[in-house]
Amino acid sequence: MNKDYFLFALNSLKSRKLRSWLTMLGIFIGIASVVALIGLGEGLRTAITSQFGFLGSDVLTVQAAGIAFAGPPGQAVSKPLDDDLAKKIERVRGVDVAFNRQIESAAMEFNDQQQIVIVGSVPVGENRKIFERMVNLQAAQGRLLTENDDRRVLLGSDFASDEQFGKRVVVGTRVLIKNEVFEVAGILEEKGSFIFDQSAFLNEDVMDDIFGHTKTADTIAVKAKNADDIPRLKEDIEQLLRKERDVKEGEEDFTVESPQSILESLDSTLFAVQLFVSIIAAISLFVGGIGIMNTMYTSVVERTRQIGIMKSVGAKNSTIFTLFFLESGLLGAAGGIIGIVLGLIMAYGLAAFGRLVLGTELIQAQVSWTLILGALLFSFVLGTLSGLLPAVQASRMQPVEALRT
Amino acid sequence: MNPAIIIYSVQHVIHRKLRSWLTVLSVLVGITAIFALLSFGIGIQNYVVQLAEEAGADKLFLTAKGIGAPGTDGNFFVVENDVDFISKINGVKDASGIYIKAGEITFKKQKKQTFVLGLDMSKQRFVENALLVKLFKGRSLKENELDKVVLGYNYLVENKIFSRALDIGDKLSVNGRTVEVVGFYDEIGNPSDDANVYVNYKTMETIFSVNTFGYVILQAHKGVPADELAERVQDKLRKFKNQEKGKEDFFVQTFADVLQTFGSVIIVINGVLVLIALVSIVVASVNIMNTMYTAVLERTREIGVMKAIGAQNRDILLVFVVEAGLLSTLGGILGVVLGYGIASAGGAFAAASGFASLQPAFPAVLVVGCILFAFMLGAVSGYLPARQAARLNATDALRYE
Repeated sequence: MNKDYFLFALNSLKSRKLRSWLTMLGIFIGIASVVALIGLGEGLRTAITSQFGFLGSDVLTVQAAGIAFAGPPGQAVSKPLDDDLAKKIERVRGVDVAFNRQIESAAMEFNDQQQIVIVGSVPVGENRKIFERMVNLQAAQGRLLTENDDRRVLLGSDFASDEQFGKRVVVGTRVLIKNEVFEVAGILEEKGSFIFDQSAFLNEDVMDDIFGHTKTADTIAVKAKNADDIPRLKEDIEQLLRKERDVKEGEEDFTVESPQSILESLDSTLFAVQLFVSIIAAISLFVGGIGIMNTMYTSVVERTRQIGIMKSVGAKNSTIFTLFFLESGLLGAAGGIIGIVLGLIMAYGLAAFGRLVLGTELIQAQVSWTLILGALLFSFVLGTLSGLLPAVQASRMQPVEALRT
Repeated sequence: MNPAIIIYSVQHVIHRKLRSWLTVLSVLVGITAIFALLSFGIGIQNYVVQLAEEAGADKLFLTAKGIGAPGTDGNFFVVENDVDFISKINGVKDASGIYIKAGEITFKKQKKQTFVLGLDMSKQRFVENALLVKLFKGRSLKENELDKVVLGYNYLVENKIFSRALDIGDKLSVNGRTVEVVGFYDEIGNPSDDANVYVNYKTMETIFSVNTFGYVILQAHKGVPADELAERVQDKLRKFKNQEKGKEDFFVQTFADVLQTFGSVIIVINGVLVLIALVSIVVASVNIMNTMYTAVLERTREIGVMKAIGAQNRDILLVFVVEAGLLSTLGGILGVVLGYGIASAGGAFAAASGFASLQPAFPAVLVVGCILFAFMLGAVSGYLPARQAARLNATDALRYE
């Protein structure tokens, strides 16, 4: 293609500055809002899913199925997992270890303030090390729990700030959990996940003491000998549990999930929300496209004579078509570029503002190159598509009649 | 007359129409989105208001703290002794504890997990009123019978909970104990509540051997403001349970508060969506402006002629502003019609998915407001082009080619 085509299209846009600007305005408002919203959504999704991405790839979690969204594992469950189930799971071929975990809620007091926190158990005996490695438990201050820590508690990293109790909790201080005094043995490294950062950990036997031993498990953690076995192990354990709990396939009252599958289902929910918002934002792009079509039809009519002259000196239909087609494509692309720049500013600006106002690190913007290139391509395609009909109309004009107007 | 001229004029008219239609279309799309979103927002708000009216402004909830769905955290609860104390507090007309437990129900070998609520049927009217349940079919539970249940609405629908629809007299089992269905409550409008199983105290205590309540419903005496009573109950029960201020293991809310929280979350979400949809309205406004600038340019001569025979600037301004306003109004009317269709379809879809409470509402204010908004949008966007037209110099305009 000749670069003259480009120059011609560019010049004709320049000679109608106001109209070109107005048309582009429509596109760039649309592109800016779509880029900003997708960028914010993407960042939020990454931030939320990273809250759950802490377990290794060789781990499965078994839970009794309760009522959806009714609380932490083991709550709102009618038929809890038996506490001897872990031993049976351990006998499945390919399973390295399986152990019970208890998850409870309790009132915790410090600095004369009370909060309801989640208390999780740390297994005792040889499973302790395995658990610590499984979830990569590391103390930022103090130390992890040991076998005889009957009166000691391990806290998530959020307690090290004054946000929870109005005062920082430090190693060695005393806190009340369920009205019992515990000394803080250590504070965990920040994991970026509220599941760990806002929880308290006690030795399993201590939890049994203060919450009462229930002969049930809230979740069972399973570690495979080999990460490749996970899909097969999931099926084998499901089969075992179906037999143990006397349920048919498809009616399971329990779940066996890998961290990946939990992440995937969470991610797809967030994606659906993001998609819905983007569709509403994309309506404005559709409207912008209509604007381009409108401008191009006007432009064709205005230049009927010009088209006639070009045709009479030998321009082919395809030449005329290309000229108008390029012009509308340029309109779209130029609007797209400005829109992307504005969208970037909006996304990062809004995210910074949101973090400042809401005080949560969850609000992040993330604009990928795919999004930028996609938006640019989309705006060019939108421009050309909207210009398609007007360009066809222009190319099909009869030179004689066009000259006569 | 030359046929070519006729063809040309027809083409011209068609083209003019096309451009107008494109402008109308751009307004239409934006108004459709806004109308549909707003109708849902208003519908949900109406639903919240209606719930508040049905339950009455004199109802309160006392809920045990904890994590997860209200009242389901086994580590926090209210006991009968507390309820007795609460019902004696000055200003409390009635109080009744609600048991809530997750249960496994089995019907024709199908198993489901759901909440089972244990109600004090000696206070049937008060309890049913506060829980917003109305009998749909059969009868309510009696105080002293054993192993009878009333089910939520969704059990009446095939394939919603069980593949077969249940009826009065059917037997099912709750945590292994066989019970008989005596009635159904009407649809509440969300899949969770409509899947509830209701039993009386006696049956609840037999099946689950519980003695702790998840929450307590309260009614204020006539003339006692609910929010004042909430504070008083909070204060007295705290002292009764020997808890320090700020360290209670329960909280008291008026029914209006509970609904308000629920309502305002939805309103905020809806508001954000409407704001995003407003972007398309801004783009449509730019389109109108563009179309009108072109129209002014095309009709420069016409304007010159009008001015030459005595039209004033004001008249010209009005002609173009009204033209833009009308184009946009047409888009608004069509947008409202289309938005109505989309919102109704969305409501039907929500109802089919179990969210019968999620219904759009179409008050006259919304319809008229959207159309008026479209007119204003057109008139405002058309103002600058119209001013340009009005300020044209008559002689220059006549000379224009």
